Amino acid sequence: MTGIIDVSQLAKTYGDGTKAVKGISFNVSEGEFFGFLGPNGAGKSTTIKILTTLLRKTSGSASVAGFDVDSDGAKIRKIIGVQNQDTVVDEDLTGRENMTLQGELQQMHGQALNERVDELLKIVDLVDAADKRAGFYSGGMKKRLDLATTLVHDPKILFLDEPTTGLDPQSRAAIWAYLKRLNEQGITIFITTQYLEEVDRLCRRLAIVDLGEIVAQGTPSELKQEIGADSISLGFENSTMNGGDTRSKAKELLEKKFDGISNIVNSDIGLTVYAKNGGFLVPEIVRAFDDAKIGLSSIGVSSPTLDDVFLKHTGKRIRVEEVSSANYRGMFSRRRR
Amino acid sequence: MSFFSDSYHLFIRWMKKLVRNPILVFFSLFQPIIFLVLFTQLFSKFGSLIGPGVSYTVFATAGIVLQNAFSSAFQSGTSVVDDIKSGFLTKMLATPVNRSAILFGRILSDMFRVAVQTIIILALAYVLGVYPQTGVLGYVLVILTVGFSGLAWSGISLALGLKTKSGETVFGIAGFLTFPLLFMSTALVNPTSMPPWMQTVSSYNPISFAVNAIRSLIMPPPHCIICTNVFDWSTILQAYGVIALIGVVTLGATLYLFRKVVS
Ligand SMILES: Nc1ncnc2c1ncn2[C@@H]1O[C@H](COP(=O)(O)OP(=O)(O)OP(=O)(O)O)[C@@H](O)[C@H]1O
Ligand SMILES: [Mg+2]
Repeated sequence: MTGIIDVSQLAKTYGDGTKAVKGISFNVSEGEFFGFLGPNGAGKSTTIKILTTLLRKTSGSASVAGFDVDSDGAKIRKIIGVQNQDTVVDEDLTGRENMTLQGELQQMHGQALNERVDELLKIVDLVDAADKRAGFYSGGMKKRLDLATTLVHDPKILFLDEPTTGLDPQSRAAIWAYLKRLNEQGITIFITTQYLEEVDRLCRRLAIVDLGEIVAQGTPSELKQEIGADSISLGFENSTMNGGDTRSKAKELLEKKFDGISNIVNSDIGLTVYAKNGGFLVPEIVRAFDDAKIGLSSIGVSSPTLDDVFLKHTGKRIRVEEVSSANYRGMFSRRRR
Repeated sequence: MSFFSDSYHLFIRWMKKLVRNPILVFFSLFQPIIFLVLFTQLFSKFGSLIGPGVSYTVFATAGIVLQNAFSSAFQSGTSVVDDIKSGFLTKMLATPVNRSAILFGRILSDMFRVAVQTIIILALAYVLGVYPQTGVLGYVLVILTVGFSGLAWSGISLALGLKTKSGETVFGIAGFLTFPLLFMSTALVNPTSMPPWMQTVSSYNPISFAVNAIRSLIMPPPHCIICTNVFDWSTILQAYGVIALIGVVTLGATLYLFRKVVS
């Protein structure tokens, strides 16, 4: 293979027997913006830890920039920047000191290091707080500082595990814009995130993992086209009716009465129906449900989005942990590991 | 070699953290200072038991500076556990940082800190009229002896921290060990006033070796504070031998456990 990241039949079984990754293969070419998506517990962080030499694989092969993750770890660590899922900064050090230390551990020093730190402080908008201890930062500021510390040494490849989760929309947009700029400068980005809209806009390619296996990969438009249908989202007034499950009753009805439905999957609010010409189908569905006395609380049609791709392959909607800027500070300390 | 520069940068990190959390220094200095200022008054009669005209304050200073090494060094393990739990260790491991430097930077900071605290205690002792009769070289040797003892003890605490990954456990074991080890040594009492079995324990207690060396510098033998410069090299070298032995064992164990955590 010729990618900057090559993964083949990669598997990881943890000490307690958990098979977190079960033989995945993919490759990322140089300069690509690659999205690695999947529901909670799919094995995303495990994969990132193996690629960044923080965790040993159980079997299969993985290389980064041509270096084997097991035997050439030291060479890999010089050219990658890694942001882990849990925000990590030294709270006793100032923002500037946190960044400087990371640079020093990457063998940078002197004027070059200072200038680089100043430049990054501007980019992540922490100039005013640069000389305050990171312990006094809000959750979002810590997250931005954490990202900045991974960039000090100008890495060739960036591994980002949910870099914008927990940020307010404004900082999120700023970070994505910056990542886009980095990518345009030639940096390869490997990212896990829950923000599918941004993935759709920025990622050139993506892979979806579920339960340790890759269930789909390709460009966003390829994956959306694969669905080949509009999605009709149905919300039900009640989750049970006549002593039965509304979802299964509705499903039965849809399957019996309508042709051209390619797939029906459960969603949080009810069902999502994939069909060609969704727009024509809507009034008919409303009429049929009316006759069958199935109460609809909402109905909507859309052309396929990555959300639908995700739902189709994993059976789950991605759950974005939305946070308001008022409470994201508290939420971070309680984030799952 | 990035070993030295990495160790230096991480040493600086720990020093900054310490200065910004003065409560930690306060905790480890509080006990020795209380001992030096109050307990020595309480036990002042002990002095005459040791020898005619011996001040207990002078006698106990050797034990007290060592106690300070003990209590500071035991914080070492907890801070490394903190780095593991917060993910900071992982973050460092994703960089090319020299692995051994992560430990060495911490140990260096422990030594330096213990040395500075020793200077503070010795300054206070000076005000109380206690100073090494062996002069400047005596001061230097006292500080070095305490510093190296701190290094050996921090090895124990680091090994415990890496093994249990629990700060509470390290703290608990440290608290549990400190008093018996201190009292069953020559730190605060003359062995002649101990029951025979305790004398035996005390003679094998590593703390006794270090204390004896420090004491020989503060009040050169035989128990006389007016004698002129006498360096009891055999006592001093014995102490360094014991410290080196403990250091090799505890730091060896630490390095081994650290490698396991890191890989
Ligand atoms: N150290 C560990 N020991 C045992 N099992 C683990 C360990 N770390 C993760 N797992 C398990 O491996 C599986 C994959 O975890 P991983 O963290 O890679 O998921 P993820 O895709 O990053 O999920 P999330 O979106 O929640 O971050 C999960 O079932 C998890 O419980
Ligand atoms: Mg994860």
